[in-house]
Amino acid sequence: MGLKIIDDFPGVAMKVPGGSVMLGVMDAVINWARANSLWPLSFGTSCCAIEMLMATGAPHQDMARFGAEVARPSPRQADLLVVAGTIVKRMAPTLRTLYEQMAEPRYVMATGACAISGGPFIYNNYSVVRGADEIIPVDVYVPGCPPRPEAFFYALLTLQRMIRSGDSLKSRHVHKRPVMSALPAGITVADIQEELRDLLERDSAVDVEKEAAAGPWAGKGYC
Amino acid sequence: MTVQAYTLDDLVKRLDPQATEGASQQYFLNLGPQHPAAHGVLRVMLFLDGETVVRAIPVLGYIHRGIEKMGESLSTRQFIHLTDRLDYLSALMNNWAVARTVEKAAGIEVSPRAEWIRTIMAELQRLQSHLLWLGVLGMDLGAFTPFLWGFRDREELTYIFEETIGARLTMNYVLPGGVMSDIHPEFAARVKKYVAYIRPKIAEYEALLSGNVILEERLRNIGRLSAEDAVSIGATGPVLRASGVALDLRKASPYGAYDKLEFQVPVGTVGDSWDRYWVRFEEMRQSIAMIEQLLGGIPEGPHMSVKPAVKVKLPEGVHYGQLETARGILGVFIAAAGGSDVPYRIHLRSPTFNNLWSVTRLAPGWRIADLVAILTTLDLVIPDIER
Amino acid sequence: MEANELQEVVLAFASGAKVREKTDRPSLTVPAASLPDLLAKLKADERLSFDMLLDHTAVDWLERGVLELFYQLFSTRHGHTLTVSAEVPREEPVAPSVSGVHLIAEWQEREVYDMFGVLYEGHPDLRRLLLDDSWVGHPLRKDYRDDHMIERPK
Repeated sequence: MGLKIIDDFPGVAMKVPGGSVMLGVMDAVINWARANSLWPLSFGTSCCAIEMLMATGAPHQDMARFGAEVARPSPRQADLLVVAGTIVKRMAPTLRTLYEQMAEPRYVMATGACAISGGPFIYNNYSVVRGADEIIPVDVYVPGCPPRPEAFFYALLTLQRMIRSGDSLKSRHVHKRPVMSALPAGITVADIQEELRDLLERDSAVDVEKEAAAGPWAGKGYC
Repeated sequence: MTVQAYTLDDLVKRLDPQATEGASQQYFLNLGPQHPAAHGVLRVMLFLDGETVVRAIPVLGYIHRGIEKMGESLSTRQFIHLTDRLDYLSALMNNWAVARTVEKAAGIEVSPRAEWIRTIMAELQRLQSHLLWLGVLGMDLGAFTPFLWGFRDREELTYIFEETIGARLTMNYVLPGGVMSDIHPEFAARVKKYVAYIRPKIAEYEALLSGNVILEERLRNIGRLSAEDAVSIGATGPVLRASGVALDLRKASPYGAYDKLEFQVPVGTVGDSWDRYWVRFEEMRQSIAMIEQLLGGIPEGPHMSVKPAVKVKLPEGVHYGQLETARGILGVFIAAAGGSDVPYRIHLRSPTFNNLWSVTRLAPGWRIADLVAILTTLDLVIPDIER
Repeated sequence: MEANELQEVVLAFASGAKVREKTDRPSLTVPAASLPDLLAKLKADERLSFDMLLDHTAVDWLERGVLELFYQLFSTRHGHTLTVSAEVPREEPVAPSVSGVHLIAEWQEREVYDMFGVLYEGHPDLRRLLLDDSWVGHPLRKDYRDDHMIERPK
């Protein structure tokens, strides 16, 4: 109490330890930063690893355009776990351990039919786990066997949008429901590339002035 | 009173009376199953003395998907799409191996055009597989440029495959009786253009890598596999040929259109990592030469001799077929009870299974960094080992 | 060497061997106990020189109650192939190990033990190869079932 700004904007402005005041718009900035600097942990077990982790990092596709090229082999330095490939019973505990070792906030992307549901290995099979979500919570599913690199980028943009809208400083444990990020049907590779470029430019920029003007503080003399 | 200083070794001996001299330097280290140099999910338990490997114990099963069990309830045509997912870098050659075995068993004739398509696709994929290997080799040994170059040139091939086949990696293209679809009208022109493009690039790789002192230091004389050991291990493909045994099924028992092609089989001399590197490098050149010869004469005819709805029944008995993939001999063992298109038992003899075993022979005495060089020149694909 | 000729030569080598019918390459059936000796002789003989064990696997003939072991031999010198098979009972599957003759047999036999439960006498390191040590049963046996498996719907 005492500070006018906190009374004016309950829930948007709050007191933080040490006496400073933090504005809600910081959420947008932090989420924007998080969304655009995802560090993936490459957990490639089989075929999907070639498409999802190697081809995407290489020329022609180039994951760096999405700020996610810093693939780390260590879970301690990563915040996006890309499950690329089949998970078998013997691998399951390792996957769980890797997930638990990652620092929060952490996100999981299940790429390919095997990581979603067991894929072609569902029937008459004694060793394949039917989907990574039997072991760890998954945020984004990317269908395909294996998915195209473009599908991976589409999923990356889906995840970025999710991070920007759902996760925040105030509620960092709140995840939105997992989404299936399937590429729209009937479009060519060139279309996808074009659309991705558009999405990238449109969605990855935060206009701080516009955000401020649209907020509840507009016209109250704070900015 | 005398003061007796003692060492770490003494402490270890006091704690464990069985410990030997220098025991404080000995320990177990796990490489994998999640490790950047483990090529997927390979796990090798290393017993080390300092940084020197005393024993290397591969531990398998982290991607064992039970494909052979599934094959007992799938028709061979359905089974072929699972073989894409074994050695996904030689997907077409895996398809072909199963298709050949079924064709031989059921007595299916294949048109010269289908054989031609299979051969050129297989050679394109061998080139593609070796390009990926080259990139990974560079990355494992600490150079990033080969990775970028290898993938740049590999991707072009992926586009060529996609145009005809409709898939980038798991292609499911070769079926008993022929191939799934005829080649794209632009195919020959595209491949011709690509060959003209890749030829100078290979020379560029050579300038970047083969003449590089660091690479030579990292590979030369590291991990020597003698010809005798290589044969006893059942190593095949470039690993065996690097040890000086000129066994290549394309030459020894030609299939497809290989009997009409002129090519050499590159053979190493001492079987060290450098020879394995060199053999694969030369194989890329040979593949390009073969593709050029194949482009010279495309036979006319149908691409498929079996109607898709026909069940390819397997006669009773044991059938075995094999061919040379990018990694060595892939064998397909089919035991059929007769009267059905579903095999009673199907087993795949994968080349990397045997090639990996050579690690237990090669690793002792070398440092961990050398082990990485040995593993990368064996060119392992783990799902192929464990099926 | 021609297939018939090869079979004749090998038959002279192996006591108790019979030609295995219904195969697409020269094939013999021998008593399981004679395997290591036979494979060693085939490897040492100049004319045959079967120096590579390409493949070793088994087939579970449930109705007959036997496991049939298959050895695919290959000669890197002459380029010819030979299939040697031997039968062991399903209930008591014990066979002698050939890992003393061909190094790779050590792993191939571990895989067959893992998948079929065949016990190899004289094997230096008989452990499961692909499945966990705590796994119950041998999945490639025809009567293997567990809670995880789902039948394909018709």
